Amino acid sequence: MLAPLIRFKGAGGGLVLALAAVLAGADSLATTTSDAIQLQLSPRICTLSANDKQCQTQVLASWRSSTPQSLCLIVLEKPEVKRCWERYSEGTYSMELVFADDLTFQLRDPDMRQVLSSEVLRVIREAVRYRHKRREPWNVF
Amino acid sequence: MATLSHAAAATPDADCQARTEDCVAVGNWNFSVSLGAGVRTNPLINGRDIPLAIIPQVSYYGSHFFLDNLDLGVTLVDNDANTLSLVASPGYDRVFFYRDDLQNIFLSGFTSDAFVAVKPVSRDTPGAVQFPSRARRVTYLAGPEWTFKFEGVTGQLDVLHEITAQNHGNEVRAALGIPLMEKERGSSLALNVGVTWESEATVNYYYGEPNIYVAGSSLNPFFKFKYGRSLAGKWRLDAFMEYERLGAAIADSPIVANHYVVTAFVGATYPF
Repeated sequence: MLAPLIRFKGAGGGLVLALAAVLAGADSLATTTSDAIQLQLSPRICTLSANDKQCQTQVLASWRSSTPQSLCLIVLEKPEVKRCWERYSEGTYSMELVFADDLTFQLRDPDMRQVLSSEVLRVIREAVRYRHKRREPWNVF
Repeated sequence: MATLSHAAAATPDADCQARTEDCVAVGNWNFSVSLGAGVRTNPLINGRDIPLAIIPQVSYYGSHFFLDNLDLGVTLVDNDANTLSLVASPGYDRVFFYRDDLQNIFLSGFTSDAFVAVKPVSRDTPGAVQFPSRARRVTYLAGPEWTFKFEGVTGQLDVLHEITAQNHGNEVRAALGIPLMEKERGSSLALNVGVTWESEATVNYYYGEPNIYVAGSSLNPFFKFKYGRSLAGKWRLDAFMEYERLGAAIADSPIVANHYVVTAFVGATYPF
């Protein structure tokens, strides 16, 4: 099942295409160490066009558990991002992020030792074909 | 537009895998502008020198087609050592007769002067023969272009024929680009040496007049020093100085005062 397309502006000014999810339920990127906790990201993939150097977008992280949990959401590559909940069975957190490479989102226990769930927001660069620029020692400039 | 299916890169040219000084992305427009000061001397009698201030540059490279300022081309063979293209390029000499020639837009930017006039000889001059004022229209030349790169030296050979039915002349443009200093602290210095050969028909279209001055073909050698250096951000310092010596067929024309053309410019270039 193909996911809906979401477009947003890249930090480089060009059009960035994001897929909120690619295949629901199949080959999930999430690594769940606790069966009851599910972490989802939206979008899950940012595709950079040839002129874009980085993604700049609002990312929504949401989690759900069958039982109340105390946990924290972090982004490994963004130490400044940290959001904790105490005895909740679900939560959402929206953040504006600028990134050029994959981001790993993790739910951890309050002591930050155990990874409860993990999800990766992937960056894919549009295929760019290159060719030789014109060699022109005879020119007017 | 990007899609996931494009995630795996496929390059048509194994030598070009990324954007470098020699390689450019296919399908992208490239714009830059140079802001600075400079001049191109005008060899015509009473011809005003061409100021250089704002130099816009635009290029587009498709898989085979390319646009390089006012030049168009289709590349037939392209590899790390050799490139063979069919190109069309405007006739160059018109820049001395018309300030608003498009080549002057790309070279000197937008200026208020509309025309580079060749003042007629005074009627009071004893024995003077009037050199009639006539139009030199925009012309395009087309033909094969071979460029190569060997041991860092770049070579270019264009064999062109006028295709806009104005003079049916021929032109050969040949040059070598020799790096003298490269990539040291972001700086580069290169020497270009070359020659332009213009056929009799081309020379007479610009500089001749039946019954007054009939020229032969002309061989115009030139050399150019080019210096570039990275500045803050995307800005780059560009400077060049070119000296072109006009062949006798052009230099001996009654409307030509100087047997050389000097072009010099220094400025900052910003790529968009």
